[in-house]
Amino acid sequence: MVLLGKIALGITGTMLAGVGAICSQGMIEVNVVERQPEVHHVYVIAPAMLVPIVTHFIPRHDLGDASQQLRPYMPTIRAALDQLQETEDFVMVDVKDRKQHVEVQKIGGSLVIDVKDENETVHVETPVRMISSTLEQLADKESATAD
Amino acid sequence: MRKATQLAGAVCLLVASMSGMAASALAAPPPERYLHVKVEDTKEGESVNVNLPLSIAEKILPTVNKGKLRDGHVTIGSADLDGVDVKGLLDPIRTAPDNEFVTVKQKDQDVRIAKSNGNLIVHVRCTNGDKQNVDVTIPLKVVDALFSTAKDNELNIVAALHELSDAGDALLVTVQDATQHVRVWVDSKSSSD
Repeated sequence: MVLLGKIALGITGTMLAGVGAICSQGMIEVNVVERQPEVHHVYVIAPAMLVPIVTHFIPRHDLGDASQQLRPYMPTIRAALDQLQETEDFVMVDVKDRKQHVEVQKIGGSLVIDVKDENETVHVETPVRMISSTLEQLADKESATAD
Repeated sequence: MRKATQLAGAVCLLVASMSGMAASALAAPPPERYLHVKVEDTKEGESVNVNLPLSIAEKILPTVNKGKLRDGHVTIGSADLDGVDVKGLLDPIRTAPDNEFVTVKQKDQDVRIAKSNGNLIVHVRCTNGDKQNVDVTIPLKVVDALFSTAKDNELNIVAALHELSDAGDALLVTVQDATQHVRVWVDSKSSSD
């Protein structure tokens, strides 16, 4: 009985540690509300860590062009994202007209994009660390292709 | 005797907490400075606000090597300078007292260049069609940093940004016409409000 308890405790602990590790890079949140012509609501929340892992399994030949185009900009992207993580929260871009409002902000460790108009509302939240590690993965794919 | 010990203890605690606060205040990093750009179009009912932390711009620019921008320096073509020794021109302006240096009055346009309170000021007033007014105020320290490179045909953008982040809050550029208003300024606020 004690042994079973220990095993159960071990499994629970491992699961909790796994969940903690998977969520360590934060969560990606996508929320789309469409009002016209019909009401649709899409809400997705997923661990950010999955994105670079999934990127790792994308076949190299499918990413060839994207990686090649991305590589020259990596030093700039790296510098921007590193500094972005260190800065305090701020509104990067705010565009308003009579029908639409677009806002790009840095909140906590995430980049948040909100688009609101008469017909739909879109909210996307992605951790900066996830963007960084995914782009690094893509750039590495290019160098692996080049070898 | 016991009261004196208690009093001494309280004073020590107070001094320790105050010195701790002072140390944390000294250790605190300087507030982030932001370059703001705001474009408002009253006719179309549009507004665009861009806020860029100067620290990000300072880190990004040296990594960009494309076209005329290399390592945070912009190369100006000799045709753009038209043989003008800008560095040589800046020296007398820096040492001169506040004054209006250039005044050009045309039929439909007035241009004034002046120095005031350590700033280089350019005013352009167009009286034709759009009635556009342009005001540029740049701290002379920023202008100096801009021309601080060894080469005459280069502008040191990173040094200028660094100097701009050390300067106080400043309204750098305003452009106003019949329907549009553009403002570029620097302060410590993270939004344009």
